[in-house]
Amino acid sequence: MKPLELLDGSAAHVLEFEWLRAAVAPVSSYGERIFEGLRPFAGGEERAAQARAQRVAAMTQRVGAERIDAVRGVLRDIPDATPAIARAAIGGVLSDPSLLELRRFGAAIARIDALLADGPPLENAAVLKLREMLDAGQERENEFYLSDAFDESLAAARRELMEAQAELDAARGRESERAARELRRAELGEEFIVMRAEHSGHLPQGVRVLREAPTYFLCTLEYGDAALAALRRRDGAAAELAAAEEGVRERISDLVRNEARGLEAAAAALGELDVLFAAAHFTHRFGCLPATIVDRPALKFEGARFLPLEAALATAGRPFVPLDVELHDPAVLTGPNMGGKSVALRTCGFVAVCAAFGLPVPAERARLGLFDRIAWLGIGREEPMGGLLSSFAREVLALKELLTSDAVRLLVLADEFARTTNPREGKALVVALLERLRARGACALAATHLEGVAESAGARHFAVRGLREIPAGPAPDVDAALAALAGSMDYRLSEVTGDAAARADAIALAALLGVEPAYVEAARAAFLK
Amino acid sequence: MSDNGSFATSAGMELLSLAQGTGARTIFVVGIGRNAGKTTTLRAIYNAAGARGLRAALASIGRDSEDALGADFPKPRLWLQPQTTFATARGALPRSPACRILKLSQLRTPAGELLYARTELSGFYDLVGPPTAAGLREVIAELGGCSDLVVVDGAVDRTAAVAGSDGAIVVACGAAGAQTQDEAVDEVAGLAVRLAIPRFDDGAPALEIEGALTAAQAARFLAAGESRQIVVRDPTQIALSGRAASEALARLRIRCRRPLHVIAATVASIGPERNFEPQSFRSAVAAATGLPVYDVYRESAAA
Repeated sequence: MKPLELLDGSAAHVLEFEWLRAAVAPVSSYGERIFEGLRPFAGGEERAAQARAQRVAAMTQRVGAERIDAVRGVLRDIPDATPAIARAAIGGVLSDPSLLELRRFGAAIARIDALLADGPPLENAAVLKLREMLDAGQERENEFYLSDAFDESLAAARRELMEAQAELDAARGRESERAARELRRAELGEEFIVMRAEHSGHLPQGVRVLREAPTYFLCTLEYGDAALAALRRRDGAAAELAAAEEGVRERISDLVRNEARGLEAAAAALGELDVLFAAAHFTHRFGCLPATIVDRPALKFEGARFLPLEAALATAGRPFVPLDVELHDPAVLTGPNMGGKSVALRTCGFVAVCAAFGLPVPAERARLGLFDRIAWLGIGREEPMGGLLSSFAREVLALKELLTSDAVRLLVLADEFARTTNPREGKALVVALLERLRARGACALAATHLEGVAESAGARHFAVRGLREIPAGPAPDVDAALAALAGSMDYRLSEVTGDAAARADAIALAALLGVEPAYVEAARAAFLK
Repeated sequence: MSDNGSFATSAGMELLSLAQGTGARTIFVVGIGRNAGKTTTLRAIYNAAGARGLRAALASIGRDSEDALGADFPKPRLWLQPQTTFATARGALPRSPACRILKLSQLRTPAGELLYARTELSGFYDLVGPPTAAGLREVIAELGGCSDLVVVDGAVDRTAAVAGSDGAIVVACGAAGAQTQDEAVDEVAGLAVRLAIPRFDDGAPALEIEGALTAAQAARFLAAGESRQIVVRDPTQIALSGRAASEALARLRIRCRRPLHVIAATVASIGPERNFEPQSFRSAVAAATGLPVYDVYRESAAA
C-alpha cells in the first residue's frame, strides 16, 4: 500500500499514513504481496473505489467480527507455499518441509472455506487434488511425513532397512562385547583408550590402534566379517529406501507442477481474501462506513474521526469529538488555540486517504471525490532543525512546489501557513493562496489565527465553536488543565459569516496553564486597549 | 553406520543422574574450543536417556561462537534412534530416511529456516540451532513441550537461555583447546567457577552492572578494593576468561541475578595436535573445578 503521488512525505507523516497502513495490513505473506502493490484510486475510478469500499463493508456485515478474527487467525499461520509451487513448476523435486508447507496451504484453504461456508469457496480442483494426495497417511494436520500410505514400496523398503540395521547392530554388538570382555571393560565406545598399565600382551582381535602414547593406546574396533556383510546389506537397504522416498517426492512434485496454475490462482485468491479481511477488520474495529464517491474535488462528511488521535485519546480515557465538514472550494478555519483546528485538517485528509484506497471511512456519512494529491502546508511540515533555510523559506518552497504541480484534483490543508512572517504579509500570502487554489478548482481548508482572511479572500469561513465557558485558572497541573479545557471546549465546526470577532481564549488558556496572574492581567488589558 | 556405545553409556547415565538430581529438564553441554568432546558427551547423555526410557530431544546452537576455527570444520552428524525429536535447518535435513516434520519455525540459520522433526528410522542427522539466545529459548520451549529432556550442544555465551531455570550445564574440555595441560586446566577451572557464581544476597550492599563485566571494569574494582557484591544479570555476562577470571572471581564478590547450575565436566585428553596423559588431566580438572569429571574415552569418573 503506497501513497505514490497522493501524499508527499510530510503529508503522509502529518496524516499518519503509516498508522493507517498498519491498521489495514494483511497477516499472511500471500496478502502482503498484494498489499504491497495497492495504490490509491485516481480520478475516473470513482465507481471502482466505491465498489471496493462497499464490498469491504458488506463483507464486514455479513461475516461478523468473530469470523473475521477466526479467518485472520488461520491466515496468520499459513506458511508461504508459493516458492514450493514455483520450484515444482520448473521441474524441481520438493523437499519434505516444502510438502508440509503445501499441505498446510491446502488445509488452511479448507478451514477458511469451512468458516466462510456461505461465501464462494477458495478451494479449486488443483487444491483439492493436492490435499487428497498430501493427506495420505498423515496423523496430524500440521505435520508431514512421507508415510507408507504414499506407496507400497516405502513400507517394504523401510522394513528391509530396519531388519538390516538390526542385523548390523547385533553383529557389531557381538564384536564389541567380545572385545570389551577381553579388555575387561563393561563397554567400548567408538574410540576408546587402553591404558598400557592395565593391559599387557596383544590387544583383542579387531581392536585397531589409532594412536600410541607413552601410557596408553587410542583404539577403535574394526568391523569383522559378519558386521561387514551386515553393513553392506544395511547400506543397500538404505539406498533402496532413499530411491523409493525420492520417487514419491517426484510423483507429488509432478502433481504440483501439473496443477501449478490452479494452485497459484488459489494462492492469489488467498492473498486477496487476506487484504479484504484486513480492511474488514479495520472497518469493524473503527466503525467505518463506505463513502459516496463523487467525480469532483469535494469533501463532505458528518461525524468523522481522525482515528490515530481517537486511539491515543482512548488510552487516556478521553473521547474524540466527531466533526462535520463540507468543502467544495478553498475555505478558512479559525478558532482558539488547542481548539482542534489541526485535528480538523487531519480528519479531512485522513478521510480522503481512506476513500482513495477504497476503504470505508471513519464517519457517519461521507461524500467525497478522489483527489490526485492531498497537500499539507504549514505546521507539521517542519524539517529537522538545522540547514540554511528558515522555516518560512521552507514553507515557501513547499508552496512553490505545490503551485507548480500538475495535480488536477487537489485537496490542500494549510495549518497556519505563513505564521512566521509579519501578520500583514502573512495574511496577504494566505489570501493569495486561497485565490489561486480557487482558480484551480481545488478544495482547501486553511486554518489560521490571522484576522480577516476569509473576507479578503471571499472564502467560506468555518470556526471551531471554542470554549463554552472559560475555565477558571490556574489548574493544579497540566493534566488537570487539559481535562478542564476538554470539558469546556466545543470542538465542533460551524460555518460563520464574515470574520467573527476574535475571542481572548489564548489569554484564558495562559491563565489556565498557570502563568502568573499579573502577567495574564497585563495581557488582557493590552488586548482590550 | 550406527555408533554403538560411543562415549560410554555408563558415564552418560551418571551425568544424567546428576542433572536429574538438580531437577533439570534441559542439559547444556558447553566446551572450550573444538574437539573438547561436546558431541561425544551429548551422545552419551542421549544414549543414557534412551536406556532409561526417557524421550530426549536434541538441539544445537550451531557453531560455537567462541570457536575460532569456524565454518571450515563441520559438526559431526549424530546417530539418532527412532522417535527422537530434534531441531535442524531445512538445508541440513537428510532426504533419507525421511523424518516427520513437526513444525516449521520462523527462525533463520545459515542453512535455512529452522524446523522441528522427529526421526522415524534410526540414522545420521545434523543438529542445527538458532543464532540468537532468544531463538534458543524458543527451541528449548518447543522441544521441551514434546520430550522429557532437552539436550543442547551449546556454547558458553548461549547458556543464558537456561539461566535461572531448570537447566544444568556440563563443561567439556579437551587437549585441543590449549597448548599445555596447565593452560587447559586453568581455562576450564575459570569457566566452571565463572558459570557457577551464586545468586546475589538481597540483604547485602550490591553494585548492579548493566551488560557485561569486562576485564577493565574488574581491574578497576580490584584496584579500588570494592567490597560490595558486583551483580551481573547471569554468569554469561562475565567477560573474563582463564586466569584473569579466576583471579577476579577469587578476590571480588561477583554475583548474579539468574544463576546457572554446573553439574560436571568432561575431558578429552586426545586432540588432533597433542595429547595429555588421561589420568593426570582428569585428576587436575577435578581438583581445579571441584566437579565430578568424566573422561570421554573412558567411563569412570574422578571427583
